[in-house]
Amino acid sequence: MIKIIQLSKYYGKKQVLNKMDLEFKAGNIYGVVGENGAGKTTLFKCLSGVESYKGLISSDYDNLKNHIGFLHTTPFFFTKITGKEYIQFMVNARNIKLLDIEDKNIFDLPLNQYATTYSSGMKKKLALTALLLQKNEVFILDEPFNGVDVHSNIIIVEIIKKLRGLNKIVIISSHIFSTLESICDVIYHIDKGILIEKVAPKDFKKLEAKMKEKTVGNRINNLGLK
Amino acid sequence: MTPIPFIRMGVFFYLKPMWVYLKLQFLILNRKTKDFGVPPILAYPLLLILLILLSNTLYAKTNYAGYFILTAALSLVSRLSEPKRNVFLKSLFNSNAYTYLRIVENIICCLPFTLFLTYKNQYLFVLALNVLALLIALLNFTRTLNFTIPTPFGKKPFEFVIGFRNTFFVFPIAYFLTYTSIRVDNFNLGIFSLLLTAITCFTYYNKPENIFFVRNYNLTPAAFLFEKTKTSFIYFTLLSLPIVVALSVSFFSKIDLILIFYLFCYVYLAAIVFAKYSAFPNTIEIQQVMLITISLLFPFSILLISPFFYVQSIKKLTPILND
Repeated sequence: MIKIIQLSKYYGKKQVLNKMDLEFKAGNIYGVVGENGAGKTTLFKCLSGVESYKGLISSDYDNLKNHIGFLHTTPFFFTKITGKEYIQFMVNARNIKLLDIEDKNIFDLPLNQYATTYSSGMKKKLALTALLLQKNEVFILDEPFNGVDVHSNIIIVEIIKKLRGLNKIVIISSHIFSTLESICDVIYHIDKGILIEKVAPKDFKKLEAKMKEKTVGNRINNLGLK
Repeated sequence: MTPIPFIRMGVFFYLKPMWVYLKLQFLILNRKTKDFGVPPILAYPLLLILLILLSNTLYAKTNYAGYFILTAALSLVSRLSEPKRNVFLKSLFNSNAYTYLRIVENIICCLPFTLFLTYKNQYLFVLALNVLALLIALLNFTRTLNFTIPTPFGKKPFEFVIGFRNTFFVFPIAYFLTYTSIRVDNFNLGIFSLLLTAITCFTYYNKPENIFFVRNYNLTPAAFLFEKTKTSFIYFTLLSLPIVVALSVSFFSKIDLILIFYLFCYVYLAAIVFAKYSAFPNTIEIQQVMLITISLLFPFSILLISPFFYVQSIKKLTPILND
């Protein structure tokens, strides 16, 4: 379990996260929703320890950072490194020996090609494959479905469900509400760095309607489209 | 006012957008030197002095100095051909303006080398350099090649994999110089080929990786540095061993000197690895460069500087690798 108590984050004088209290239990899938700039990615960065923060993040793991696999919205790749070498580099960092990387290539990626030549969807699939092979206990997936083709999205959804079965913690942010709705056990709704509500599956529809109302409102009418 | 057709066809029509672009590049370069810790007003004369000193040393030590300067200038120019950058430029300027801009850029980039070679009366090299720079500007580098350069460093892929792919052409040159040094019985040239290999490997550690990739390691700071140094030693050995073995066999009477140079290569390699992480997550700063420069003047000082970098690295890595 991961417990976040009174998490705050400032960039200079600007407060991005404001005293958030969250809880993530093993064997559950958590969605994090909010508008652009709500603080989702900052929350993930604090959780994975990439950013400093105020507050407390505690967990059952001896050293949380060594158990987290963080899939960034736009994964970063070194130039002139192949997909295979990227996976090797990532598993080396966790002291994991892989006998056959090709065998684990479930997305059929061209692993002997430079990763920087991949399309954005392929890059995301490569980064996800590497995180899965690191055998992490916690997965933070920031927009895992963006730019990925429909077939691979189906595979990703099945992987996420499998991770729940393996008692892992999966935290996802996505702008595709229908996907979150179909796989999440809990959705955290955040806005302007504040946790607005913790939503259970029976209330997902209400949350979607509320978000639609707040986001769309009368804005489209204001365009005066004819 | 519409320019007259003749001018419209030529470079003058593109002068203004080109000028704005080049001014912007100059501004970016100034910011980079400031970030590095040297004000631009000092940085440019210092770079020029360094170029003159290094080039003069090359001319004093080898007959191949012109080739080295040509290679160095062209490798600098080729960095401007980076595909993503060129795709961006092509989307920004029309095709004529793009071509003029790339030619002007490459010629400006070559200018310090052109001036030095002219001063040395090496007109053939001046011609070759500028013609090749012009040709590089005309070649289309907007597509990344799918060809993957094979490397023997796949087990621990990072610095040496990327570095080797960026500098693979240096190694045939270095091995050829070793061969030449043996053929013409020039020991200094042989040592130069070893140093060329070492310096090339040092450059693999000049840029910091994204903090995410360091934090990813399940290692203590000391173990992380040990792992990095060990990998650098093994892979450097792989690249340099043919040179050292060939020189040791051919210049057996000077084996002690060869081994001293070789040992110093390892000491410097470790120091460079530590220097990189002593500034992490920033790039190596003026402080590290100054200390390494001092160590080049007084080589044994590296034995003090290296532990200093190590302690600094541990300090920088502790908050990143420990929770």
